[in-house]
Amino acid sequence: MGSEIALELKKVTKKFKGTNVISEMDLKIKNGEFLVLLGPSGCGKSTTLRMMAGLEKPSDGQIMIAGKDSQKISSVERNIAMVFQDYALYPNMTVYQNLEYALKIHKVEKEERKRRLEKILETLNLAAYRDRLPGQLSGGQKQRVALGRGMAKKSSIFLLDEPLSNIDVQLREKARDEIQNLHEKNQQTIVYVTHDQLEAMALGDRIAIINEGKIQMIDTPDNIYNHPANLFVAQFVGTPQMNILEVNYQKEMLTLNERPLFFNTEHLKNMELSEGNLYLGIRPEHIIVKRKQEISLELPARVDQVIDYGRYQQLTLNIGKRQTIKAIITNNEFKNDDLVYVLLSEKRALFFDHASKKNVDA
Amino acid sequence: MNKFREGGWHILLLLICLVLLLPVVFMISNSFKTLQDSYHSMLQIIPLHPTFSNYTTLGRQIDLLRLIWNTFFMAAIVTLGKLITGLFAAYAFKYFSFKGKKWIYLIFVSTIFVPFTVIMIPNYLVISKINLLNTAPGVALPQMCDATGIMLFLKAMDKIPKSLIESLKIDGISSHMILKDIIIPILRPSIISIGAIFFINSWNEYVWPTLILKDKSSFTLPLALQNYISSEGGTNFPLAMALSTIMIIVPLFIYLIFQRYILNSISNSGLK
Amino acid sequence: MNSSGSKNKFLTIAYLSPTAVILLVFMVIPILYTLYLSFFDWNLISPTKNFVGLENYTSIFTDSVNRKVLLNTIVYILLLLILNFIIPYFISLIVKFFINKMKNSYKIIFFIPSLFSLVVGAMLFSWIMNPISGPVAFLMRHFGVALPNWTNSSAMAIVMLCLITNWKVFGYNFVLLLTGLGSIPQNIIDATKIDSIPRWKMVRDIVLPLNKSIAFYVLILTIVQGLQYVFTPISVITQGGPYYGSSNIFYHTYLNAFVLYKTGNASALAVITFLVFLILLYLEMKFVEGRMGNCE
Repeated sequence: MGSEIALELKKVTKKFKGTNVISEMDLKIKNGEFLVLLGPSGCGKSTTLRMMAGLEKPSDGQIMIAGKDSQKISSVERNIAMVFQDYALYPNMTVYQNLEYALKIHKVEKEERKRRLEKILETLNLAAYRDRLPGQLSGGQKQRVALGRGMAKKSSIFLLDEPLSNIDVQLREKARDEIQNLHEKNQQTIVYVTHDQLEAMALGDRIAIINEGKIQMIDTPDNIYNHPANLFVAQFVGTPQMNILEVNYQKEMLTLNERPLFFNTEHLKNMELSEGNLYLGIRPEHIIVKRKQEISLELPARVDQVIDYGRYQQLTLNIGKRQTIKAIITNNEFKNDDLVYVLLSEKRALFFDHASKKNVDA
Repeated sequence: MNKFREGGWHILLLLICLVLLLPVVFMISNSFKTLQDSYHSMLQIIPLHPTFSNYTTLGRQIDLLRLIWNTFFMAAIVTLGKLITGLFAAYAFKYFSFKGKKWIYLIFVSTIFVPFTVIMIPNYLVISKINLLNTAPGVALPQMCDATGIMLFLKAMDKIPKSLIESLKIDGISSHMILKDIIIPILRPSIISIGAIFFINSWNEYVWPTLILKDKSSFTLPLALQNYISSEGGTNFPLAMALSTIMIIVPLFIYLIFQRYILNSISNSGLK
Repeated sequence: MNSSGSKNKFLTIAYLSPTAVILLVFMVIPILYTLYLSFFDWNLISPTKNFVGLENYTSIFTDSVNRKVLLNTIVYILLLLILNFIIPYFISLIVKFFINKMKNSYKIIFFIPSLFSLVVGAMLFSWIMNPISGPVAFLMRHFGVALPNWTNSSAMAIVMLCLITNWKVFGYNFVLLLTGLGSIPQNIIDATKIDSIPRWKMVRDIVLPLNKSIAFYVLILTIVQGLQYVFTPISVITQGGPYYGSSNIFYHTYLNAFVLYKTGNASALAVITFLVFLILLYLEMKFVEGRMGNCE
């Protein structure tokens, strides 16, 4: 059983100058899993990755690699590959030498080296650039060399630190697909750090959302998006952000600014909400905007702003008391200052405890 | 295992510290010893019979105040000259475009490597012709510019955004005003540290002053010290050490205050 | 447009002229004049100079004293390279990559002797190494060994004089080299850690190649400045003795010019020095590309 866990953090804490960058983090990564660490900049995700790589020592706690304490094994035994954000290619070595260097130092047979590297150059489409220096390569090519250098080692764990952030936007999607294909082919354990949620959603088997040194939620992209564990996750994932409204629940009735939103429905009863103030979260795409009021529960609102993205429109709606919500609609029919009615999709609404900010459904 | 090896390196490095600093420690300590003690208890760091006699003897034999003033005056002229010419030249190289800029810069920078023997004879003739032998300006004049300074100022100017200067130009601010009101205030830490380096170097200078300053009343400290060292043996070391101690106070003091800036500038002088 | 153009031209000249004038009068013209003097027999004072063609140059390579001085100069260069380049480079590698604590303290302490005059250094070493009354001789006597009078031996004198400059220059070169090592991106060093590259191999395969431009700069500096720096202790302690045994091309030029008043010989020696330095300068420019970088 234990061998199924490739990498495990046990109550890992990292302090810099007395402040906790990471506090008591627990994390298990299964063999062959693609785990993405996602969070805003400065949240501690890169520090976590660097500790996994053995570049930083945890101030407290343990990091276990294949069941062994990583502090107690040598870097050769750790057998980890890493791709750095700016690739960290050896500038004085050609593409081929970059890939070959570690193998040579660790005395891999010349024939074996050649066999492995030719295959990698082929897979990554680098064969034509084998004798170029890193300075003569484009960002995307450098990134592929960095990937290749990690692949050449046949390591059990592959760490990637924002590998796509220095690539032009146009090429980023292609590079992302490449990484995904490689993972599907090799089934290597991958830990991938990014601050880009689309990248995280597209790549990760699971995503760990990190903020202020703590894992806020770790789950599949689907659950992260549809069942966020707390307000932070709910607001961090998804653009435009999830709308959060402070509502009140009393006598089986949910009110916003003393106007009833929903009352006495099956769904509400099943939620077993406790009475008092709480937060309601609803994604912009789960808001229905109408010209005419059909039922009394629809909120009157004024259109403050319309942004037309072509495929869809984003409305900023003023619902009174200086509160605005955002809605995504696909029919191009509203203008600024239109008076409209807003219906929140009840089944899609999420509720968060007022004090703990946790999802009450979790 | 790793800790153990790091410890070994620290022993080596501390040993180097000792080799570099012990001579100076002994120098200061011996300057407070009598000639007898300096021989019989030379390795005693705290003098057995501490005495100021070496300093008072020096005071009787030479005009210390005058020596210090001569050294200071010469170093001050050289420092000021190098700062002004360096700032102006760096300003021109950084913010003006003109024909042959690259070549002129290349020539300026190459002068760092020109051996002094190839210019000393004509320079000596010029200084003697314009009657500046035995004067501080005579020493200072030929070294009023320093390509290292230009390089360091250019590097410091890298930190001022070019757009700032351009926007000032668009607003019609004159070049002199930009230099006086923007660049110099921003560069103040660099000016101080580069000036400190120039001053210390000039304070210690020996070769060129020995050619120009022949008259004892025009001597600087290094020249006076050289008079206390006899190559035939028989140097009165406590006396020479007392004079050396006086000499090193100024650079040490400057280093104490501006240590971080000075090391930064030295580092910069090596970088591309 | 035109008026602002000519105004800019005027300003450029105004800002560059102080440096340009001083360089012209005290650097460019003197170099040419030295070249001119090297073809004459003169004594620095007499109103007439005798044209002697290349005689001053041929004497450099035929005169036995001159040959000795040139040979000494080569010995000086080799010694200076070991003492003032290789050793500080080794130590800067240690401080950068092999220790974690006190890095900055070492930098601050190592630099201290650079603050002091070489005359002080010369005085100190002539005390420490004094064969009769110096502490080294004192300690050696305890073990029944006598410190030889090194001023009588050409080889030993050269070593001592180099050690004096080493005392002064060590920290300075150390700081320069350490800065160069510091400009190697940390990520590249981290990448070698991930790849479990042993540290000395990392130094050999990654660090030294990446740091070669600054290392070459310090190497040239070591030769150019080192030979000039040695001038001071030579002048203070040995005056080139025993019998020119510790003299080098710089000191010998000075001696010819201002002690023996053989201006022509001195000028020829100076021109030869200059040519060697031009070669070094060319190599430096070629090697350290981008030194031009910061002025566009």
